[in-house]
Amino acid sequence: MNAAWGRGGGRGTVAVCGPDEDVLTLAAAAALRALEAAGLDPGLVDGLWWGTSRPPFAEGPSHAVLAAALGLSPHAAGALSSGSAHAGIEALLGAADAVAAGSARLALVVAADSVLPGPGTGFEARSGAGAVAFVVGADGGNAFLGARTTRSRPFLDRYRGDREETLRDLYDPRLFREEVFLPLTREVGGQLAALEPTAWSLPDPDGRLGGVLAKNLAEGGAAASAPVYAAVGDAGAAAALLGAASALDTQGVVAVLAYGGGRATGVILNAEGPVPGAAGVLDALSGGKPTTYAAVLRARGLLVKTGETVDMGVPPESAMFVRGADEMLQLLGARCGDCGTINTPPSIHPHCIACGGTKFELIPLARHGIVHTFVINHTMPEPFVAPLPIAVLDLDDGARVMLQVAGDGVGLEIGSEMDLVLRRYAYERGVPVYGYKARLVANETEES
Amino acid sequence: MAWNKVAVVGAALIKFGELFEQSYEQMAAGAFESAIASVDKGFDPAQVEAAFVATQRGTLWGQEGIGGNTVPSALGISGIACTRIENACPSGSDAFRVGAMAVASGVHDVVLVIGVEKMRDKSAEEGLLSRAAAGHPIFTRGETAPVLFAPFATRHMHEFGTTREMLASVAVKNHYNGARDPFAHFQNEITIEEVLKSAPVCHPLHLLDCCPQTDGAAAVLLVNADRAEEFTDNPVFVAGFGVATDHPYLHEKSTFTAMTATTAAAERAYKMAGVGPDQIDSAEVHDCFTITEILDIEDLGFVEKGKGGIASLEGETAINGRIPINTSGGLLAKGHPIGATGVAQITECWWQLRGQADQRQVEVRNGYALQHNVGGRGSGVAVVNILTNRR
Repeated sequence: MNAAWGRGGGRGTVAVCGPDEDVLTLAAAAALRALEAAGLDPGLVDGLWWGTSRPPFAEGPSHAVLAAALGLSPHAAGALSSGSAHAGIEALLGAADAVAAGSARLALVVAADSVLPGPGTGFEARSGAGAVAFVVGADGGNAFLGARTTRSRPFLDRYRGDREETLRDLYDPRLFREEVFLPLTREVGGQLAALEPTAWSLPDPDGRLGGVLAKNLAEGGAAASAPVYAAVGDAGAAAALLGAASALDTQGVVAVLAYGGGRATGVILNAEGPVPGAAGVLDALSGGKPTTYAAVLRARGLLVKTGETVDMGVPPESAMFVRGADEMLQLLGARCGDCGTINTPPSIHPHCIACGGTKFELIPLARHGIVHTFVINHTMPEPFVAPLPIAVLDLDDGARVMLQVAGDGVGLEIGSEMDLVLRRYAYERGVPVYGYKARLVANETEES
Repeated sequence: MAWNKVAVVGAALIKFGELFEQSYEQMAAGAFESAIASVDKGFDPAQVEAAFVATQRGTLWGQEGIGGNTVPSALGISGIACTRIENACPSGSDAFRVGAMAVASGVHDVVLVIGVEKMRDKSAEEGLLSRAAAGHPIFTRGETAPVLFAPFATRHMHEFGTTREMLASVAVKNHYNGARDPFAHFQNEITIEEVLKSAPVCHPLHLLDCCPQTDGAAAVLLVNADRAEEFTDNPVFVAGFGVATDHPYLHEKSTFTAMTATTAAAERAYKMAGVGPDQIDSAEVHDCFTITEILDIEDLGFVEKGKGGIASLEGETAINGRIPINTSGGLLAKGHPIGATGVAQITECWWQLRGQADQRQVEVRNGYALQHNVGGRGSGVAVVNILTNRR
């Protein structure tokens, strides 16, 4: 950053999505981990509450696409909260209220964000990305929602208007600190402090205010905040719940304070024991691999090569995507009733490729397999970015698929062990198109 | 017993290359006029009853969905029956097969088969590379033409120990031949080193493992075999042909060390011609990439499966080798104007069987030459035509 702007950068670590990741693929990854930790089948979930400051479709099927990709029931209820970094805590409270009201029995809460700062802005070096998910149910569980409180003030702090690509920086950081952030968070934090929490998740929008706030609250005996910001930077709507999740690995009283869009909300989580999955949160946040500022700008879509891009053969709003939505987002295959061969994708295989049969059972494909053969494509028009590895995989269930490989293909070999992860295949005519890519299991930490 | 119901009495191609200065129509007329001139006893254009035109990709020069009526008008024979054949990379060879069937059926006595393709009116990015965005939005995303063939190279190298040097030897041999073919796009010899050091296109294939994008046209004249002597004392007959298909997507392939469409098409053609691979004196096969020729010579039965790479490196497929392959320079050096490619390969076979291939002439022992293309999505269609100078 210093090379680009003559200032900025500094110390610390922030997380940035890969060029084929976004808030939806992050949300999906976190949700699947939470369900796995809870030992629950996605089909049992009857509501999805998703909080992200900036959904992948400004208007559109963000919630429906995520629900389908997670394999939730098409009857799943829930809501998408967005518009500010406060959206994550709104999702948690919305889900809790629905469960309390009896309209949902098992709710999935996901908070995901990938903050998009303007190049050269003051908060660019602290803007991060991350996602976290909770399973909230009426029965069982080790943690319970306690008191909550909110304080708001209608003030433009970090915001983005219609037709604006990146977030605007604060108009006046001193004004924000003295008149908005500290008064609101001190008031809410003070109320939480009265309940004698053993752990805190505090907001830190600029790398300094979090410390100031903690010190303010410490006068009342508060503990230090969870080290989420140090690991991934400001993960926007995911930040408060990431801090909460990381603190739920042990018995205690966790005070969660979320700030965004002129609102501060505090929630108490009472953990009677470790919550499954919580112990892995900080480890998960330490993954990834080092990158360059230019690569970050490219991944964020802020550095785009000049030249005409080649359009996808059919636009994402066309009939093919309607027909193929479920099979692409859930990665379905059609198992032949006569010979057992798995045909993918089902919609283009009215007859079995092996025996010509027509009786099929739709099944979700295995998400793990090995490389049968592969290529690394170096020569493509815009909008493709080389190198692009593509592999033919033999999945554990016997299905064969050909998919792009996440990353640059270094280490890819015949026989490599791969898993399949949801990724953004294209940003086409202004909207994202999602599907599965193969990822080297050996690179799971770097490519996650 | 060869089929031999149809004779080839004329054949020609124009010089292949980046023919920016020629229109589609001018290229077609050039090939047609040369084909007429190649008929030993003379040929009146008015004798053409029907034409089959191979043009695979009108989208490459802004002529999407063109029909069969463009060409007769350009050739000065408007009014004749004319049908356009589009069957991927084997379009030209399939037009030849359909033309032969039209003659053999007795419906027509004299048929023109002409392949014409404009590949360079659009930039590479808007041309074949744009395929990367076509097809299934997930399963074919990023699939440029090399992606359809490179996975076979990766697997062939893994299973049989085929090396990049072996792949490169195909390009070196075909450029050597192309340097002796006045109609070839590239007329320069290259070295294995140059192939290995050329830019990576699609691992494990590099630039000189790939054929160029080329403009071109080629034409052949087919007549009922009973009337061949009206046109020449040195006719070449259609001994047999075969077409076969395979599943269109790569993940549906049962193997990545063979192209099953080629194997099946060859089996049908050999059976129809009553010959086997041992009786073929020379072959023009589909070498869009070096790996393709290695697969072809195995799948067509010229070398044992897995030995295609070493056979190429050791010179078995050279002009003076055991089984000369792509004496014209192949797609790698002569170029690959898709619709024209198969028809131009037929022309090379015609020259070889008539002893007219000059520096590229092979020893004609059995009197059979084979022509082959494979292509389409996932190399899912292959055509094999077998020609003979034996009655």
